[in-house]
Amino acid sequence: MSKEGTGENLIISIVFILGSLILVIKVGYLQLFDDSFKDRSRTYAIEKQWIYPSRGLIYDRHDRLLVHNEESYDLMVTYNQLDPRMDTAAFCQLLGIDHQTYLDQIEKDWSDVRYSRNVPYIFLSKVSPEAFSRTRELLFNYPGFFFQNRNIRTYPFPVGAHVLGYLGEVSREQIDRSEGDYLPGDYLGMSGLEAAYEGPLKGERGMQYLLKDNLGRVVGAYLDGQQDREPLSGKDIQATIDIELTRYAEELLANKRGSIVAIEPSTGEILAMVSSPYYDPNLLTISQERGKAFQQLEQDSLKPFFDRSIMAKYPPGSIFKTIVGLVALQEGLTYAKRLIPCTGAYYYKDESWGCHHHYPCTSIQLALTVSCNTYFFTLIREILDMYGPANARMGLEKFNGYLTAFGLGHPLGVELNGEKAGFIPGPDYYDQLYKKRKWYSPTIMNIGIGQGELQLTTLQMANLAAIIANRGKYYIPHLVREYLNDTLQIDPKYRTPQVVPIDPGNFEPIISGLEQVMLYGTAFASHIPGVTLCGKTGTSQNPHGKDHSVFFGFAPRNNPRIAIAVYIENAGWGGDFAAPIGSLVVEKYLNGEISVGRQALEQRMMETNVNALP
Amino acid sequence: MLQPKRKRFDGLLLILYVNLVVIGLFMIYSSSQSGDSILDMINLQSALGRQFLFAGVSIVVLLFILTISTEFWKTFAVPLYAIAILGLILVLLLGSEIKGARSWFSIGLFSFQPAEFAKLGTLLMLSSFLSNFRTDLHEWRSQATIGLILLLPVFLILLQPDAGSALVFAALLIPLFRAGFPSGYFILGILLASVFILALVLPIDILLYIILFLGLAGLMLSFDRVIYWISVLVLLSVLSVVAWMQDFMTLMVGVLSLFFLILSILAYREGRLRYVSFVSLLMVLSASLAYSSFFVYNHILKPHQQERLDVWLNPQKCDPRGALYNVLQSKLAIASGGLEGKGFLEGNITKLNYVPEQTTDFIFCAVGEEQGFIGTFGVILLFTLLVLRLAQMAERQRTAFSQYFIYGVAGIFFLHYFINMGMTLGLVPVIGIPLPFLSYGGSSLLFFSILIAIVLKLDFGDRLR
Repeated sequence: MSKEGTGENLIISIVFILGSLILVIKVGYLQLFDDSFKDRSRTYAIEKQWIYPSRGLIYDRHDRLLVHNEESYDLMVTYNQLDPRMDTAAFCQLLGIDHQTYLDQIEKDWSDVRYSRNVPYIFLSKVSPEAFSRTRELLFNYPGFFFQNRNIRTYPFPVGAHVLGYLGEVSREQIDRSEGDYLPGDYLGMSGLEAAYEGPLKGERGMQYLLKDNLGRVVGAYLDGQQDREPLSGKDIQATIDIELTRYAEELLANKRGSIVAIEPSTGEILAMVSSPYYDPNLLTISQERGKAFQQLEQDSLKPFFDRSIMAKYPPGSIFKTIVGLVALQEGLTYAKRLIPCTGAYYYKDESWGCHHHYPCTSIQLALTVSCNTYFFTLIREILDMYGPANARMGLEKFNGYLTAFGLGHPLGVELNGEKAGFIPGPDYYDQLYKKRKWYSPTIMNIGIGQGELQLTTLQMANLAAIIANRGKYYIPHLVREYLNDTLQIDPKYRTPQVVPIDPGNFEPIISGLEQVMLYGTAFASHIPGVTLCGKTGTSQNPHGKDHSVFFGFAPRNNPRIAIAVYIENAGWGGDFAAPIGSLVVEKYLNGEISVGRQALEQRMMETNVNALP
Repeated sequence: MLQPKRKRFDGLLLILYVNLVVIGLFMIYSSSQSGDSILDMINLQSALGRQFLFAGVSIVVLLFILTISTEFWKTFAVPLYAIAILGLILVLLLGSEIKGARSWFSIGLFSFQPAEFAKLGTLLMLSSFLSNFRTDLHEWRSQATIGLILLLPVFLILLQPDAGSALVFAALLIPLFRAGFPSGYFILGILLASVFILALVLPIDILLYIILFLGLAGLMLSFDRVIYWISVLVLLSVLSVVAWMQDFMTLMVGVLSLFFLILSILAYREGRLRYVSFVSLLMVLSASLAYSSFFVYNHILKPHQQERLDVWLNPQKCDPRGALYNVLQSKLAIASGGLEGKGFLEGNITKLNYVPEQTTDFIFCAVGEEQGFIGTFGVILLFTLLVLRLAQMAERQRTAFSQYFIYGVAGIFFLHYFINMGMTLGLVPVIGIPLPFLSYGGSSLLFFSILIAIVLKLDFGDRLR
């Protein structure tokens, strides 16, 4: 026996008794007095139900509704609440499904962390309204099943799929990364504006606790709903696109591969951004048929999911001559009224680069009008050799500095995912390309006419047109104008003017040249009576077959309202397809209709199947 | 020397033990998946069958231990402790990983948790050390040795990691307390634990203010005319509340600090330097703990542990889908039992998996749901009688070793049932430790039976009256 310690013994015993007393009081309170679990005898479980907010709507620039929600119901099931004696046959008949479908939907891979026997999962998504009204009344016979209200997206205009985007089921990684924002089976924006504005559009999920009895019937709300949370609707957004113009642009691109981007120069708002081939966005709304449609689109050899307006990188062709001219003027290397003789080719040492036959170019305007290669080979060489012929490297760096200012060689920053940077070859690139051999301005002067390794996205080309239209200023092209009924502001970068280091005065000769292109130059056939459209065609050689047909321009000459770029793959001369299509979009936007004299052109453009041309 | 009475085993303890084991078998049968039939008690693939087997094994082991000499445990305390530590090291290297923790050795159908054995080994070692005549609890070397004996297994178990098992070692503070370990340590421990928990509930600046206030109060009350100082403190606390509401806290902090400084100098003049430095040290310690508890919470605790603390302390900031949901379902299951319960085998909520781990850590839900308050009260009563009986038996031991050992066993049982039940009731954070005898699990049933057996034997041999 150690030292007498009855005091300690007493304290220890008191601690034991106190501990037990706390337990007894708590358990007694819970079992005898606590009424937060109302109607204790009937209550069988607390079930948490999510209340989904309605996703934000998308309007176009003229307040036309582009994307809205349609109520739909998912039939949910909790595996462990299923009644083993359930009449499966009657249940299947009620829903109009066969027994195999029933089994497929019920039995999940339980080793997959996405599924648990205790957590409700989707048994059937987007149940048809008839099946819903038939089943709802009888559902209490089938414990474990319940309907969950969900909104699905519908598109009143079946166009603009690339811009609007689609929703898809959230992936495991996204769930983990979201820290509770998403649950298995949730939908989120996968592409287009739906993905870019996922945060504001999504809203916030609400939640309610329900007390249920042993047949799964709701007995009441837990704690009278004190812990419940109301859902917060998503924010509505107004897109900058004009849906009718988008529809028109898609019609013009039917049976062609290519893209059209139209921008409002004074704001940088994108009026239309279309890629062909395109698809009806309604094909990809959440439904039983979605998977099949998705697979078909994905396997299509023409790649309709590929957004050619921002993801395709193209050699710009002759439209690039405008930039070369602007830089040469700005650097004081040339002047507007300069004559550069052309004898049908550019000669250097014992090589020659061809040009087509045209009257002599007595000014830069004329050179653009006829798209003289020799003229711009001369200019680009003068730019590259401005620090001496041995220092073409420095000249190229200087030139590329301008290109970067024009928004080339890097993604412009439109909201959509997957925008490509394009490519502007720098000195290091040529070092690598020519290995040990030294390169000089004649080696790389192809870039002066927009050929060679230079690559631009259609969006960048349209932005170039906007820069010229604004005489050197631009806003980063964007697709959303504002949040409706909300104080939230769009990214301020879209409201910050960007300035190109070219004096406004230097744009005038170039713009005059572009105006003449439409009057009696390479695109005279696309002239719009009464509209001063300024544009430039391009015919871009490429290793993938026939030349690409390119056009960019803006209108009207003063206070321009639209800048546009059109790129049609393997369609030949710029004047053949791209320029007429571009002029039609411009005319439609400015005048609302196509003049009688040009309707034949419109029809021919819509009906020609470029994909089937030899 | 007193002549011992006729030797016999303690009947009450034996009855309590058998009762709890039988209740445990019934509850496991009732709460396991509905597919189990009563015939499964001979089926080793089913939970019930294996629990039956272990109950049998436990009784055999119990009988075997009763034949071992009392001296064995005293003599082999050190080797057994060494083996326990070795087991903890081996399981870290060779154990099978279950749910991210290396706590188990798996052999065929059965698995074994060295942490259980470590509790026994450490308790034996501690009792042996405390009862050694060379041990002087007021001397730092003994104190440090005790710290080492306790913290070594705790450290190894935290490496697994298994915070629940590590926590059980706190039960060994009870024999330590009984042995007269300096009470300053206990007070300090309680104080620091309170600061730690408060730091997770209160904003840090308010907590620091409270520490400053309490420090000042401690200093004031050491002076004469306590009644005046108390009225000053009342005034200051009123002022503090006003300051908090009117937003001039910075000023109050200044005032309090100034007060503190003046009083410190006064106390120093009166020659009470030791007291002043003790109070100051305590304040600094509390303040740094308040800060470090944030660090511990954010950087050392794992997300699921943070969540459990949040469920306990800040339920409003928890996702009700996660851990809070488990506790909610557990409370609902218990509450739904009412006074009389739904009846044996009628516990729908527990049986249908609404409650997590319903056969192991949350078995108390099954008791609550099926047997109602009568059942829960009964089980709590049985456990309370068990620990009180153990405390009573401890006092009648002839040797200090037996006394400390039995106190330790009482502490282990108390901690287990208090934390386990408290967790299902939402009183303490969710800590995965079993309810003795009731939770499914052979290893734990065997372990608790061994503890009871050793107590019975020690009491048989060592008892005074």
